Amino acid sequence: MGNRILFNLVQLLTTLLFAPLVSGVIARLKEIVQSKRGPSIFQPYRDLWKLFHKDEVVSEYSSWIFRFTPYLVFVTPLLVTLLIPVLTDYPLFFAFMGDMLGGGFVLALGGFFATLAAVDTGNPYGPVGASRTRMVGFLAEPVFMIVFFTVSFVANSTIPYIVQQRWITPTAAFFEPSHILLLLAFLMLILAEGGRIPVDNPSGHFELAMIDESKSLEYSGRGFALMKWGGAMKFFVLLCIYLNVLVAPWGLAHEQTLGAVLLAIPLVLLKMLAFVLVLVVIESSLSKLRLFRIAEFLGAAFITSVAAMITRLFAM
Amino acid sequence: MLLLIPLLPLVMVLLSLLPLGRRFAPIATLVAAIAELALAVAAALEVAAERNLVAIAGWVQLDGFGAIMLLLVAFLSVTAALFSVGYVAAHHYDAARVRSYCAHFNLFTFSLALVPVLAEPALVWIAIEFTSVFSVLLVAFDNTRTALEAAWKYVALMFMGAAIALLGFFLLFWAQAQAGGGHYSWDGLRAVAPQMPTVLVMAAFVLVLVGLGVKVGFVPLHTWLPDAHSQAPAPVCALLSGIKTTSSLYVILRLVPLLPAARINGALQVIGLLSAGVASFLLLQVRDYKRLFAYSTVEHMGIIFVAAGLGGAGGAGAYAALLQIISHSVTKSFCFLAAGAVLLLTGTREIKDVRGLIRTAGPVGAALLVGGLAIGGAPPFSVFLSEFSIFRVGLAEGHYAVTALLVVFITVAFFGILLHVNRMVFGAPGSLPAERRPRLPATAGAALLLAAVPVVVLGLYQPVWLSHVLAVAASNLAGVAGP
Amino acid sequence: MTVPTPTQPDAILWLTNLNALVCGLFLLVSFGLVAIRQTQACVRLFILLSVLLGGSALLLSEIYTTWHLVVVGVVDICTKAVIIPWLLRRALHDEVYTRREVTQVLNIPTALLLALGLAILGYLLAQPLLAVGGPSAGAVNLPIGLAGVLIGGLTAAVRREAVPLFLGLLAMENSAFLAGIGVAPEMPLIAEVSIAVDVLILVMVVSVLTRAVHEHIGTTEVGALTTLREGPGR
Repeated sequence: MGNRILFNLVQLLTTLLFAPLVSGVIARLKEIVQSKRGPSIFQPYRDLWKLFHKDEVVSEYSSWIFRFTPYLVFVTPLLVTLLIPVLTDYPLFFAFMGDMLGGGFVLALGGFFATLAAVDTGNPYGPVGASRTRMVGFLAEPVFMIVFFTVSFVANSTIPYIVQQRWITPTAAFFEPSHILLLLAFLMLILAEGGRIPVDNPSGHFELAMIDESKSLEYSGRGFALMKWGGAMKFFVLLCIYLNVLVAPWGLAHEQTLGAVLLAIPLVLLKMLAFVLVLVVIESSLSKLRLFRIAEFLGAAFITSVAAMITRLFAM
Repeated sequence: MLLLIPLLPLVMVLLSLLPLGRRFAPIATLVAAIAELALAVAAALEVAAERNLVAIAGWVQLDGFGAIMLLLVAFLSVTAALFSVGYVAAHHYDAARVRSYCAHFNLFTFSLALVPVLAEPALVWIAIEFTSVFSVLLVAFDNTRTALEAAWKYVALMFMGAAIALLGFFLLFWAQAQAGGGHYSWDGLRAVAPQMPTVLVMAAFVLVLVGLGVKVGFVPLHTWLPDAHSQAPAPVCALLSGIKTTSSLYVILRLVPLLPAARINGALQVIGLLSAGVASFLLLQVRDYKRLFAYSTVEHMGIIFVAAGLGGAGGAGAYAALLQIISHSVTKSFCFLAAGAVLLLTGTREIKDVRGLIRTAGPVGAALLVGGLAIGGAPPFSVFLSEFSIFRVGLAEGHYAVTALLVVFITVAFFGILLHVNRMVFGAPGSLPAERRPRLPATAGAALLLAAVPVVVLGLYQPVWLSHVLAVAASNLAGVAGP
Repeated sequence: MTVPTPTQPDAILWLTNLNALVCGLFLLVSFGLVAIRQTQACVRLFILLSVLLGGSALLLSEIYTTWHLVVVGVVDICTKAVIIPWLLRRALHDEVYTRREVTQVLNIPTALLLALGLAILGYLLAQPLLAVGGPSAGAVNLPIGLAGVLIGGLTAAVRREAVPLFLGLLAMENSAFLAGIGVAPEMPLIAEVSIAVDVLILVMVVSVLTRAVHEHIGTTEVGALTTLREGPGR
């Protein structure tokens, strides 16, 4: 049991420490694709360090929500990390605390408070972005639900660790039409929830066009650092769910030794790198959708997930 | 010999494209059509003598039902080709347009002749598709905005129906494979019909009914029909209404014997009554006299379908349906040729603009009146006889409600057609001065006369060989699968 | 008719799964045809649809070991993935504006939901048919083909422009074919090749018609052609 708590800690530390790295790699690769040199992949760490040493400016008109939210946004992805397979393919100590649906709700909690905080300060750009984030959020909800339902139906469980066992072994099950369709639907979901092109431009500075970035507009200093870190960790967690459960449930630690767990870290990062490459290609080749076309995009994601469910239910 | 029948129009397509002057192509088409009619009559006589014509066993063969369709195709193309000669001359088309018209016309008749002689359902589907595809550009031939609209609606709905029917034919093949195989032809299907899984055959029938029903013009899939059949040139309209919708109905009726009679007869009657009813009421408020006849086509398709669904001992209902097919085809073609003549003379399609035809253009007015009476079902024309035999079968089989409704609908349609035709033929003549009125081309008049012959004759007398062919055809249509 | 002897069981399983995957992607692309907004992308999706159909035909030919389907697959890819898009692009070349976007009677999310309902309907309708038995490897083709026919019909019904409407019709025919090769692999070859030829002729006719429509009303928005009807005021 002591081992398991230790491994949980290692999991937490992995998420904590490597999430900014993933952001840095994405930013760098996007710049390289555009024939520029781009910032160093460790730049997010330096940004966080800088921000932690700066003063914080807080609006007089904001309430306790504004001050409380950065901590919440920072902690919720860490809580979800405890529930999902990050490094190991056997359940760890807190694994049965909540299932995928619970994890989804915890992440949504962070997003909810971020939205509230954006409205809290009285800055007009905050609510604009917040309402758009909510629109994307509620359009993405059905997709989340259907994907989780289908996955749970296939694996007869809603605990991520058990679900991923299904696709570890026979590869023929991997190429089932329902599985491929689920991969596509979840990919579109990650693009939406992570604020990536074609839904939102993460490196844009134009406030009127921001969707996800607007939640951290008013923050500075430590609050800003926590919001940034929390956002990066949320993305990392989504990627973990996607890669370790659906796409490539291999390379995770099978034995219960510290060495195996530590060995899993570079393998997981390798998988993330492969996905990041695909993501960069998608981001560089598409353009941002007009606002009301996002409904069509998420509608297509919904249809894909329901098609996955149909093909699965009729056992084809 | 059977292979010659579709081959002849195909050869004519190539010949029509020869730049041999403006009059060569239409006249050559006419000659070829007459030759085609001779071949068709010869084939029908063979079939009447109980000798099934087989060119390629299982692929190209002719039985009773096919012989009847072939006769109709051949005769209608003769009258239409004859009318076309005058039509083309009256419109003063230039040589290239004349060639284009004749080439398309021959392609159309080629596809129409192909449908009855093929025995393999998938190939028949292709032939039906050809009839649609090759007539699209004929419907759009006038190149006006309304003609293009009609042609576009036509092609879109046709293709939709074709895709659905294709699926039906695939299912039919599967059903036959499940029943033990055999050649995929009409005869082969009839041979294994009792063993085919009912659910598959029913599904295939529904799909083919919906898909080809679009082409037949069953309500509610009929919306393209009044447009296409009114915007096309008159001889093409005659062919479209006279035989093309009937060809698609022919294919549907070929499938009817494969199903248990007790289960589908009711459905056939309902669908037929729906078409007949809706069309007869829609007839009353048309503004364009060609659309009038087009709605009458929809109504008659419904009547034929009801007749096929009446059952009857020894295929009496099927016999009545066949009679109705023949009389409807010849009469409707005659009506459209008459309408085309009216259009040539008055230049307008609206009913309200045409008055007193009997005074300004006696023969055409008389033809229109005769056509209206004939298609409405007045004695002594052939449609009256066939409808009467349908009523007789209906009463004999105890379908009183169906027969009563049919009588009502036919009466409504008769009233509607006569109302409009009456206004056009009698009444004070319009304001066209005598010297500016165009004259009806002689060939058009001859075509009208020729087309009128079976309309009148078949109402009074049925040639013996025709009766034989009809008897053979009715036995083809009788069901084989048990109830 | 004899059932063709299958290849070894493992290979069969793999090929069947691969066929199921191809069919699943076919369904997805059918949905994509409803959701797409640009005409050029619509044509590209149709090419993808035809390639998937050809792929399924080739896979099934391997499973059933019949060379019919190889010919069908090759003919299908040649006509529908190469020739027909070329013809359609030529029909569009005068129109720069309408080339860009597709307008529809329904907005896209609603159309997508309807397409979803139709897909479920297709699956439900196919269940009693599949219960009869028959070739098992192609069993996944039938529901997806049926669903594709319905979705293609929806696409054709809601579109206003000529070419995307026609692509919906062609997708219907592709789906009917997909279902057909799954359940009736031994259909006489001449029939299947002639079907491809027939579709080709149809496309030529339609492109001529579309050109004529464009000359008359300036765009190929055939949904605007509504003058032929009964009633007052024409």
